[in-house]
Amino acid sequence: MSRTTSYPQSMPPTRPEISSDGPKPRQARWAELASSADHKDVGRILISSAFGSVFLAALELLLLRLQLAVPSNVFLDGITFDRLLSVYGETAIFLVAMPLIIGLLYYVVPLQIGARTTAIPRVGQIGLWMFIFGGILLYGSFLFTPPEAGINPLPPFSDATFSPNNGVDVWITSTGLVTLGLLMVAIDLLTTLHNLRAPGMAWRRAPLFTWAGAIVTWLFVVVAPIFLAAITMLMIDRLGGGGFFAGDSGGSPILWQHLSYIFFTAIYMSAAITFLAAIGEIVQTFTGRELPRKSVTRSMIAIAIIGTLAWSQNMLTAPIPSGWKYFGMFMAIALIVPFGLIFYNLISTVSKSDFHMRAPLRFALGALSLASIGLAAEIAQSTIAVATQLSQTYDAWAATHFALIGFVVFGGFAAVTYWYPKMTGQQLNEDRANKSFGLMFVGTLIAVLPLFLAGVAGQVTDSYRYFSFEDFEVYNLIAAVGTLILFVGIVLAVGNLIMSRHEEPAATPDPYRGDSLEWLALSPPPAHNFDVLPDVRSTRPMRDIREAIVRRDNETAEAESAAQPVA
Amino acid sequence: MAVLLVDRRGFKEVGNLIPNRKRMRRRGAASAPAIRMARVLLPRSRKPVSLFISLAGVLLAFALNASPAMALSLNPDAASPGIEDGNTLHWILFVVILVVIVAVNLAILRAARPRTRAVSPKQGRNVSQVKLAVGLSVFALALFVVATIFSDKSREIPAVNAEPVAGQVKGEPLQIRATGSQWLWRFDYPNASFSYRRLVVPAGVTVQLDLESTDVVHGWNLPELTGKAQAIPGKTNSIYFRADEPGIYENRSSMLSGQGYDTMGIEVHVVPPAEYEAAIDLLRKEIQFAQDKVEAEFELERKKSEISEMQAEKTENQIQNNQIESAASE
Repeated sequence: MSRTTSYPQSMPPTRPEISSDGPKPRQARWAELASSADHKDVGRILISSAFGSVFLAALELLLLRLQLAVPSNVFLDGITFDRLLSVYGETAIFLVAMPLIIGLLYYVVPLQIGARTTAIPRVGQIGLWMFIFGGILLYGSFLFTPPEAGINPLPPFSDATFSPNNGVDVWITSTGLVTLGLLMVAIDLLTTLHNLRAPGMAWRRAPLFTWAGAIVTWLFVVVAPIFLAAITMLMIDRLGGGGFFAGDSGGSPILWQHLSYIFFTAIYMSAAITFLAAIGEIVQTFTGRELPRKSVTRSMIAIAIIGTLAWSQNMLTAPIPSGWKYFGMFMAIALIVPFGLIFYNLISTVSKSDFHMRAPLRFALGALSLASIGLAAEIAQSTIAVATQLSQTYDAWAATHFALIGFVVFGGFAAVTYWYPKMTGQQLNEDRANKSFGLMFVGTLIAVLPLFLAGVAGQVTDSYRYFSFEDFEVYNLIAAVGTLILFVGIVLAVGNLIMSRHEEPAATPDPYRGDSLEWLALSPPPAHNFDVLPDVRSTRPMRDIREAIVRRDNETAEAESAAQPVA
Repeated sequence: MAVLLVDRRGFKEVGNLIPNRKRMRRRGAASAPAIRMARVLLPRSRKPVSLFISLAGVLLAFALNASPAMALSLNPDAASPGIEDGNTLHWILFVVILVVIVAVNLAILRAARPRTRAVSPKQGRNVSQVKLAVGLSVFALALFVVATIFSDKSREIPAVNAEPVAGQVKGEPLQIRATGSQWLWRFDYPNASFSYRRLVVPAGVTVQLDLESTDVVHGWNLPELTGKAQAIPGKTNSIYFRADEPGIYENRSSMLSGQGYDTMGIEVHVVPPAEYEAAIDLLRKEIQFAQDKVEAEFELERKKSEISEMQAEKTENQIQNNQIESAASE
């Protein structure tokens, strides 16, 4: 077996204080996993289901693009297309982005702050199972009526009058279960963050990813109840004519747009914050340089606040007072500042240093590249005069997909590739990871770039067919080919994550000479995470520990050499 | 093909850092035919920049071959004054966005370039974060000001025509109501006539289109004249336009509204004012005629049913009389 991963393992092997394997499992592995309230088990289940769902989302996207590849196609009929579209949207947001964000944070952050457990682990465990049942409900609904009212089911259409079957009920229940479950996990993480940091781990010394954890969980605690309230209102409307979203009884359909777009925008921003922080960790580790912490953490807070307040940039064509529209436009354009700062710092740090180009860094730079295209294209989407032309076209679709595929899929693979040795105790096959990266990157470019042109030419989203006189077929044909490449790349990458478990050599606790505390634990960490908790004295506790070990070894050697002549 | 190239480049990039790079090269040679083909198709270069450029070239070539007229049309042809401002803003933003994307991606490629010699850790000066933030804020503010100016201009109500057409109050726009229903549009004109699917408006006249909906949210979408706007039940969304030249503008609704969504077309005929008056007069007459016809038929039906009722009553009375008579005779 030849692979590119044969880097020297630079960590000195002697660390006598970390030796425990933890208690031996008393049950079968799967039973242990299913009944576990350990944050690492919960986090791993969340991350694995997110990657399973990445495969499903890519498959659904491929089917949608194949239907649109040629004009007046009859591959899927209208109702099947609407169902696949709705399920694709829900999978991408609720079963890929959200569990990946929360799962990664829930796995890594307690390790980074030196916590032996989370504060209220049973709450996290209940949250995990609510999430799982939500996912099962959504895909189980293919046996009866899957959701069919679009990615965001706007109320008069999702009311009982116009969507009489159970599709919207399934959407409400499954998104509600997933959101509530992940909210509980987030609350557990937030409590842990505020109560169980290791001695000396002040906020000013907390790693970037921990900061992202704090910001994202706070944001989630604020916006998830808004969404839960909105779907509850929709459910009451559907069950008994509550009239929250009906225009003729004091409610308004626009209320739903406000509430749902606040939540969706916040999830978009959470994805950006989480994966930019993960990319920051990767860049810091592989370049050996620190990012300017104050600037990056403040930018992340700014993205959370400003980004969520920019929700009304999704509603520039709705009949709302124009003050709302200018407010949304201002906030969306103001996002240039925090995003620009983070992008500048990440890229210049890589640029100024000597680094080993390894798979996590490759994925991280790919994520930055794709996300930069998406975020820049969103500028045009958020101005009133252009949005009246381009909203609800494939131009908007392409911008969102570039940003979210960049952050969630590429950022997600970067983070998982980076923490893979820690999570599994096995090295990742970087050769295959690099191959899948190439396929995914080229696939994304070919799949989404032409859709900018289709959107500018006027192709509207959510329609299951177009006609040959509309002149969209070239773009859609290229996009279908690109989606196929992207799908193959994702299958390879997910397959690599599974296969490396059994083929690769074991990983050491600290394969990259990382600076944060998760690299102090064994790979994979025992149930109690750490035998000994260090006293954190700087932003780079692991470097301090390595230096202390070297110093102690030198002292021992000196003492021995000094003792020799006497003896 | 492209993938193999990326891989080969990837190995080359880190070549000096990887101990067994010769073996990797040999591995690449195993799929030589594919690489040879790729070399023919794509320009040969050491840098991955060429891959991007060739990719963009391929896409552009596809787009140009597809329909030469469409390839350069970033915006719809403006047929109403507000659209022109939107188009200008889109051009400005398009250039800005393109510059940002190219700059960021070139910086990423430069950062990821293969290291032939060790970079000293002190290399590169640190830009002050405050200065950077101030610079970005100025850039964002400038963009916001430009966007606001053009958005304001595009939302202005076009100057109202001096000579009012039929149904128009002097000095005010011509009011037409557009009501979306699953899955067609109904247009109500000031003189109580209405039409389905096709809107007729006079050229050179400022029109106020009041968008409403009877059922779900519909997306009004006409790039050349008005752009997009939502028609929401229980709320009126007014948009203004003034078509300067006669012509036919067609598009389709832009928000998912159910199973007939893909067939929910929008068609606007812009005609000279005189023809407009004739057209809506004709519409009104047609409607009147149709209504008269329906009413006449209804009247006929009513009379028929009255007659048949009377007959039925008669026969019933007769039967009753017969029964009474027979009972009496017994």
